[in-house]
Amino acid sequence: MMGENRKKGFWLDPRAKLFLILMCVLASMVAPSLGYQFILVLLIALLGVLFGKWKYAVNTVCFYAVICVLTVWIMTEMTGTLRTMFVAFLGLFHKVYACGMLAGIVLSTTKVSEFLSAMNRIHAPKKLVIPLAVMLRYIPTIQEDWRFIKDAMRMRDVSPTPAGFLKNPGMTIECIYVPLMMAASKAADELSIASITRGIENPNPRTCLVQIKCGAADWIGMSVAVAFFALELCVQGGVIS
Amino acid sequence: MIEFENVSFSYQGQEHNGLHEINLKISDGECVLFCGRSGCGKTTITRLVNGLIPQFYQGELQGRILVDGQKISNLPMYQIAAKVGSVFQNPRTQFFNVDTDSEISFGIENEALPPKELAERVDQTTDDLNIQNLRNRNIFELSGGEKQKIAFASVYAMNPEIYLLDEPSSNLDMTSIQELAGHLRLIKAQGKTVLIAEHRLYYLMDIADRIVYLDNGRITNIFTPEELRRLPQDMRERMGLRAVDLQEVLPLTCQPASGKEMLKLCDVALHYKERSILHNINISATKGEVIGVVGHNGAGKTTFSRAICGLHKDCEGQFLWEGKPMDRKARLKRSYMVMQDVNYELFADSVEAECSFGIRNPDQTLINATLEELGLAPYRERHPNTLSGGQKQRVAVAVSMICVKDLLVFDEPTSGLDFDSMTQVAGLIRRLSNMGKVIFIVTHDFEFVCRTCSRVLHFDEGEMPDDVQVTMDALPKLRELFSVSDGKER
Repeated sequence: MMGENRKKGFWLDPRAKLFLILMCVLASMVAPSLGYQFILVLLIALLGVLFGKWKYAVNTVCFYAVICVLTVWIMTEMTGTLRTMFVAFLGLFHKVYACGMLAGIVLSTTKVSEFLSAMNRIHAPKKLVIPLAVMLRYIPTIQEDWRFIKDAMRMRDVSPTPAGFLKNPGMTIECIYVPLMMAASKAADELSIASITRGIENPNPRTCLVQIKCGAADWIGMSVAVAFFALELCVQGGVIS
Repeated sequence: MIEFENVSFSYQGQEHNGLHEINLKISDGECVLFCGRSGCGKTTITRLVNGLIPQFYQGELQGRILVDGQKISNLPMYQIAAKVGSVFQNPRTQFFNVDTDSEISFGIENEALPPKELAERVDQTTDDLNIQNLRNRNIFELSGGEKQKIAFASVYAMNPEIYLLDEPSSNLDMTSIQELAGHLRLIKAQGKTVLIAEHRLYYLMDIADRIVYLDNGRITNIFTPEELRRLPQDMRERMGLRAVDLQEVLPLTCQPASGKEMLKLCDVALHYKERSILHNINISATKGEVIGVVGHNGAGKTTFSRAICGLHKDCEGQFLWEGKPMDRKARLKRSYMVMQDVNYELFADSVEAECSFGIRNPDQTLINATLEELGLAPYRERHPNTLSGGQKQRVAVAVSMICVKDLLVFDEPTSGLDFDSMTQVAGLIRRLSNMGKVIFIVTHDFEFVCRTCSRVLHFDEGEMPDDVQVTMDALPKLRELFSVSDGKER
């Protein structure tokens, strides 16, 4: 079983991934400066590259770099209320960005079945786990829906592009969210039915075809996260200057 | 054994689809087919057996449903799941994993089989169902038929005593339906009890032991396949039932198109991400012509229809309308696609608002006339989402008429429709054809093609090898295209 995982390349245990997200939130919270935030983003990008997501990693890092430069420029050049406004907004943005980026990687690399059995191992309640699993499964469905909706909008002479949105925001939003909501409520029902008629509510501990096991990669990943967080704490506390 | 004792059920806040005083015994190893018009309650029957009623769908339930002497409503869902396996209509939303192996093992993982046994069961299942080629694949890349096979395999792996199938063929092409029939024969030979609710009857005629006909929530007749076969055609059609034998379905004489040439495709080639999808396509279509488009999943039917509508970018060759070339924008202006899932193209909060949606100066008289013509006038204030599937489809068609589109593409307009609704759609298409519109219909439905189309285009392996008139002379060729075989096995 482990061989199967190795064949597919880099693999992390869903529990380790959850732990990484937790550490990422903490690290973002205590980050002493923009520099540390940037290092955090680079570390996450490295994880992305290990998962084979080159494009995602490069794009997100470049975008973040632009935002960083913008932040520095605003801090030095602007004054008054405009500065306060931007600083407040960007402050929030910087706190959230790393976590969002990591979440993107985790969501796209975790199989529903792995997630289910990992949650089982840590004895998470089924009432919480099943809706999460349905959500995890629903994300790729949205991508499919979006393709159809784009076509339908074009045939109605509504442009599904950012430019079209600026020209006619109300109508564009209506065109996207009405069919998406309709599709979502139906899909969520059908997915739930498909899962409960195959016994997802079984209280016995679930097994999994793909064995999940914390391996060396997981421990290394988690140690790096902890080490980085500890480093930040030390800098904050003034132990290292 | 499954027993229904005086079962009545009505959904909460809904008059339709209920059941009245159902009494039925189904013995082990029997295959029972439930049929009848849309809304007759056949799906409701399956939901009573797999426990979705009352656990997922609320409503008022009277009487008892016993499976092996146990009352279903007293069992928790996961225990029912071990006894009763369910396969549903929509292949898109009945899988839970992203890769096929995990999906096949999903049910048995929930049953907590030890990992070693899991792997054995998955191997056994894929061998039995002959789907080794689908191992370890991304489900999102599979065709509808392949997805349906995986859904079936996942239930098969759990090895339930009872199989329930709710309109399993709705989204399948002819070959996939035959493969599904093969799988049903396999489980029947294993002595499983099989319950199927279905509109398409022909592929089940040699599998079903009994055919239960429902009308307005009551069992009004129970046939053997032989009795149903002997039923005269007009009687069967009055009951709202589809053909029992596709051999007897013949092209209705649509007058061969002889009008003015409207659309012409010269040397059209379509690519997607540098890959050639279709090439060397030459078609000309006259005013009012109705053209069927067939081919296996992945043969390029979708790309073709999107290209006709100006939605696909990567096109070569010329599209001419009345002799003048149309670029992508012009095609987009002239054409409209009625999607298989119409919900994607309905945006407004009432039928009337939908008809004028996005039009700067809507012509109110045209809107009124169109709604009147399509029988939608009584529903003008209703929210499109509260309408039935057929009515939604007509709203989409109304939109196309109000936007004065001359080129229409229908994607699988009859999937999951009973006989009545199918003839209604056929009537609608005939009316559009009389208005002089050029119509393409992507479909797997042989009965429907025989009723509506004057021509059929066949796509295969990136080309268009056949362009056949729908006439008696071309019947053998048509049967070949739709895999209507005379024997029962292939």
